[in-house]
Amino acid sequence: MSNVALELTNVRKKIKNKEIIKDVNLAIRQGEVYGFIGPNGAGKTTTIRMIVGLMDLSDGEIKILGKSIEKDYKAAARNLGAIVENPEMYPFMTGRQNLRHFARMYDDVPKGRTEEVIGLVGLEKAIDEKVSKYSLGMRQRLGIAQAILHKPAVLILDEPTNGLDPAGIREIRDYIRRLAVEDNVAVMISSHLLSEIELMCDRIGIIKHGELITEQSVKEDSEEADQSEIKVVLDVKETEEAIKVLASLELKAEKEGSQLVSLMTRETIPQVVYKLVEAGLTVYGVTGVKQSLEDQFLELTGGNIIE
Amino acid sequence: MSNFFSLLYNELFKIYIRKSTWVMYIILGLIAVGGAIIISAFDDVQPTEYTDNWKEELQEENEALHKDNEEFGYSFNDDRIMKNEYLLENDIRPLNYGAWQYTLENVGLVAIVSLLTIIIGSSIISNEYKWGTIKLLLIRPISRNVILLSKFIAIFVFGLFTMIYLFLVSMLGGAIFFGFEGFNPSTVIMTANGIEYVPIVGEVMSEYGYRIVNLIMMTTLAFMISTIFKNSSVAIGVGIFLLMGGNIITGIFSQYEWSKYLLFANLDLKMYETGNILIDGMTLGFSITMLIVYFVVFVALAWLFFNKRDIVNQ
Ligand SMILES: Nc1ncnc2c1ncn2[C@@H]1O[C@H](COP(=O)(O)OP(=O)(O)O)[C@@H](O)[C@H]1O
Ligand SMILES: [Mg+2]
Repeated sequence: MSNVALELTNVRKKIKNKEIIKDVNLAIRQGEVYGFIGPNGAGKTTTIRMIVGLMDLSDGEIKILGKSIEKDYKAAARNLGAIVENPEMYPFMTGRQNLRHFARMYDDVPKGRTEEVIGLVGLEKAIDEKVSKYSLGMRQRLGIAQAILHKPAVLILDEPTNGLDPAGIREIRDYIRRLAVEDNVAVMISSHLLSEIELMCDRIGIIKHGELITEQSVKEDSEEADQSEIKVVLDVKETEEAIKVLASLELKAEKEGSQLVSLMTRETIPQVVYKLVEAGLTVYGVTGVKQSLEDQFLELTGGNIIE
Repeated sequence: MSNFFSLLYNELFKIYIRKSTWVMYIILGLIAVGGAIIISAFDDVQPTEYTDNWKEELQEENEALHKDNEEFGYSFNDDRIMKNEYLLENDIRPLNYGAWQYTLENVGLVAIVSLLTIIIGSSIISNEYKWGTIKLLLIRPISRNVILLSKFIAIFVFGLFTMIYLFLVSMLGGAIFFGFEGFNPSTVIMTANGIEYVPIVGEVMSEYGYRIVNLIMMTTLAFMISTIFKNSSVAIGVGIFLLMGGNIITGIFSQYEWSKYLLFANLDLKMYETGNILIDGMTLGFSITMLIVYFVVFVALAWLFFNKRDIVNQ
């Protein structure tokens, strides 16, 4: 188990007596990619602003590698890289000039590092053009480049896939996985669209109205997956009898056309199949339909993506 | 500390990489040599070239000046006449017009340097908000105080560079159109103690120097306003208004004893040299104290607002 790199404890934010963030607790380990998902206005950016020190906390504590962002700002900020909201850079400067500008704000970023990150995000061709000519995708890449210049232990990306096409999203996913795996960076990546970042995350947390309502591992075949209920479609000739068999196992089933649909854990599927066959029924097929995170997300957030 | 110079370098880089800065420099340059072009283009405003016969030439000049005075019924040429008489009495050959004297006359253009510095000072923070880059600046392992200081100092480095630029362009323009009077020429000027024969270099330094006070105070005020309101137009507007209207404001209130506490009443330290003191009872020490108090208040307010604030979008 690797160390916790970013930790939020009982974090609250009140702006003008309105509670925007309500008691958020979360911890991200080194090398872990954490998806921070929630509809627009849920409080993602506000949480991120507090993590990076742009906003004061009303209550609670945020630690980066054990250093409090409020009490030990410099030490905490040294290990932090971020894009907050849009990846805005100086439009009248070239990509390289922008990166050099930010590199100079650290004592220990060698010149060669700028070239290294340019290569990493694949901006070699456009790096000497003015940022005002960059597409959104190029600006996102430059944004990531400035965030990783100083090899931070914690990388925070606020909606980095916003406005990108699927190819662009895949590229970002590739760098981020690489950063997490190769450099052991803890990455927090926010989005209002689960589908865009689900594939790059190890774990996701869903925030709504300023509350972290659930956290979930994205990994397949884990023990957790064995124990969570999934939808199973049973294609059996004698549906009525099958319902009785399932009832004897304390499982409810519903008819959907000529098929049956039931909720059960992965573990119980073999037993169900055995009982059906034992009862002499004709079983054409048993299919587990994994409810996607997207479905769960829609369920949890009431399907209301844009509020 | 090396880090601080990097920050300063960053700020100056962002100022000088922009085209708008160079446009300002081109305009200031044109204005600074424009005077020389106009003077040399029109015969009747051209300065007199004195020859070895300078004594006769001075006398002729004075006669003509006296005549002018009588014609207009107003003694607007008196200074000139007195200077000429002083030269004759002391047997000093008058200095032909040239780069140094032109530069001395261009001292009024320091107001334009002030204007440009106010514009830079008003936008150095608010632009970061406008561009959205303030977030990228303030997530670095550098305290906000140091970022603010680097910006504040960058403004005055810009002011200093621009001042040097004005000086160099004026000297160059003057030298091209009128010639160069040498490295340390002297001339006669009017002072509180009457006419004196002094090195021009010193005069140039003191004239430009006195005006820097105004530049520093107005720029600091504009910087404070823009830091509080995150908006450069308000700050530029207020800065320019006060730059131009400061004297008028002082004039309106100068009948009241308390007006000596106004910032504008204390901006012109030259009054203590010439003796035209604005309000009775004011001293150089008083004015300097007032300037420091205002300066500290402006800087403290800017610092307070910059440090406290949650950084959110406009
Ligand atoms: N400076 C502010 N003043 C008042 N309310 C704010 C401010 N910033 C954000 N909010 C409110 O806080 C909530 C969360 O906003 P935000 O963190 O930007 O959401 P997200 O990034 O998840 O879309 C929104 O309802 C927004 O209106
Ligand atoms: Mg947001």
